[in-house]
Amino acid sequence: MKKVAILAQTKEGQLSEQTKQLISFVSAFHPEQIKLFIIGDVKFSTVPSSVPVDLIQLSADLYADSESVATIANGLDNFSVFGIKSIQIDNMLSLLAANTKKDMISGIQKLSYSSDKFSISKSIFSGKASLELSTSTASFFSINRNFDFSRISEYSELAFKSSSSIEKTNTNKASIVSILPITGSIPLPDAAIVVGAGRGLKDPGNWTIVEDLAKALGAATACSKPVSDLNWRPHHEHVGQTGVKISPNLYIACGISGAIQHLAGVNGSRIVVVINNDPEAPFFKHADYGIVGDVNDILPRLTKKLQSH
Amino acid sequence: MKILVCISCVPDTTSKIVIDPATSQISSQGLTFIVGPYDDYALSRAIEIKESHSAEVIVLHVGTAESEPLIRKCLALGADSAVRIDGNPISSNQIASAIVDYVKANPVDLILMGKESIDYNSGIVHGLVAGALGYVHFNPVMHLDMIADGLHLTVEMDGGKMEVNCTLPAVLGCQEPIAEWKIPSMRGIMTARTKEILILPLGSPSEVQLVKADIAETARKNKMIIADEAEQLIDLLRTETNVL
Ligand SMILES: Cc1cc2nc3c(=O)[nH]c(=O)nc-3n(C[C@H](O)[C@H](O)[C@H](O)COP(=O)(O)OP(=O)(O)OC[C@H]3O[C@@H](n4cnc5c(N)ncnc54)[C@H](O)[C@@H]3O)c2cc1C
Ligand SMILES: Nc1ncnc2c1ncn2[C@@H]1O[C@H](COP(=O)(O)O)[C@@H](O)[C@H]1O
Repeated sequence: MKKVAILAQTKEGQLSEQTKQLISFVSAFHPEQIKLFIIGDVKFSTVPSSVPVDLIQLSADLYADSESVATIANGLDNFSVFGIKSIQIDNMLSLLAANTKKDMISGIQKLSYSSDKFSISKSIFSGKASLELSTSTASFFSINRNFDFSRISEYSELAFKSSSSIEKTNTNKASIVSILPITGSIPLPDAAIVVGAGRGLKDPGNWTIVEDLAKALGAATACSKPVSDLNWRPHHEHVGQTGVKISPNLYIACGISGAIQHLAGVNGSRIVVVINNDPEAPFFKHADYGIVGDVNDILPRLTKKLQSH
Repeated sequence: MKILVCISCVPDTTSKIVIDPATSQISSQGLTFIVGPYDDYALSRAIEIKESHSAEVIVLHVGTAESEPLIRKCLALGADSAVRIDGNPISSNQIASAIVDYVKANPVDLILMGKESIDYNSGIVHGLVAGALGYVHFNPVMHLDMIADGLHLTVEMDGGKMEVNCTLPAVLGCQEPIAEWKIPSMRGIMTARTKEILILPLGSPSEVQLVKADIAETARKNKMIIADEAEQLIDLLRTETNVL
């Protein structure tokens, strides 16, 4: 790993915690150079690294045009390129991998590097199993959000060695008509705590008890597939095999039966709480804490308890 | 207009995944296979476009003969023909290069895939194919409409979604609610029997080596709290788990 590039994402102009950890992680391999590609605004001036970093800012709309993305590939021969898994990062990494004719591995749980060889553990079957892979040719790596960075030693903050920017090329092949950001709530994939609710809530009007609990916890809200199919909740809140995969520290499932397709999206959660009035609900087998009870009774009591401290 | 739909054939989500101790790889014994659920959405949308815009729909799968019943099901749903690239691919790049080689020899206007396969969960085969062919790429697409000079799409992105217009050829990763899953009709099942499945060899070997597979067991505490004392949960979350 002589040369390393990182595709980073920013929120409000700042690097995410995981991206910072990724920068420290790769600098521990002592590369000669690190290129840090940033999508969107940059409001920070230092990065946690022991290696000089070149910053390249990509215009926010460049991402939506695959031809513009391909122009970045020119500077990436002989680079090992990393990113933290997300829709944008995987889309860009895969386009770049194809343009540089290099292999890409996505969904990485563990990664080590020695004697020009990467040893990788990749999560498969929604976290039910993993594959150990070995490669000396792959150069593009998408790292899972719950990758264990814990063994990284501390680094001082370095200022950038250089900084430049790349704009979208005008290809007319793709144009953005409008962007609809999700506002007013915590984005599900980033949330440390998630409160999910299912058909057991009976009516979309009952979601206030879910939202109140989420608010008291500083949590994002999620739902089961039937709930979004019924238009009780927006589609982007649906977790599971066909929806968002989440890996929060705490997932509280309310009135959700625990079908295997739902579990596929929440298996990565560290602690799982299940609240369901049916003691036979399959979800209880996959819970750290279970409460057999009516959501209409339990949720407001939990909210009240949280508010009282 | 030619639409190529790439399908993965994956163990049903209810399957219990086991490792074959002899090979240290996932055992396919006793597993029921299905067409990847996202790929099913892609195929359903392709069939709808065929019905409204008279397109030709070709299904492509990279895999072994064991998948043929599932390919037949796609034909029964309304695909016109199918291609199976015969082999046991172990990397996304191997699958992508097989698709790219086919498309270079048999150009198409639109390539639809699922946003991700539910076995490998990589979500990258469409991007790898689009990058190699120089086609427009969007993923995951929630709505797809044909417009005068291309496509109008609703695409999910990190933290929101966007509406875009793009030209063809394009490669799209699909997710719901792009279409409703379809069930084959009796007539579809009958006509599928005579439709052609072209078999081609898998060219490139994988450069990534598979060492072994492991089952990831997450041990859960399985502690029950009685409803009358539900508030205890908050204390336990604070003292036992430090998640609060
Ligand atoms: C290919 C495929 C893909 C799928 N993908 C997904 C997916 O991604 N995500 C997903 O979620 N599902 C998915 N499903 C659907 C899945 O199989 C289940 O049908 C779904 O998860 C059930 O949702 P639910 O638990 O909200 O509803 P139900 O199964 O109806 O369960 C409702 C639960 O609420 C409980 N309840 C009722 N009233 C109360 C009350 N007052 N208080 C407390 N509890 C109460 C009941 O005991 C029950 O357990 C998929 C299915 C298929 C076939
Ligand atoms: N073996 C395969 N044959 C054909 N298409 C595939 C195969 N594997 C994956 N795909 C397609 O690529 C998409 C993304 O897969 P993946 O990158 O593995 O998550 C899937 O939804 C399929 O449409």
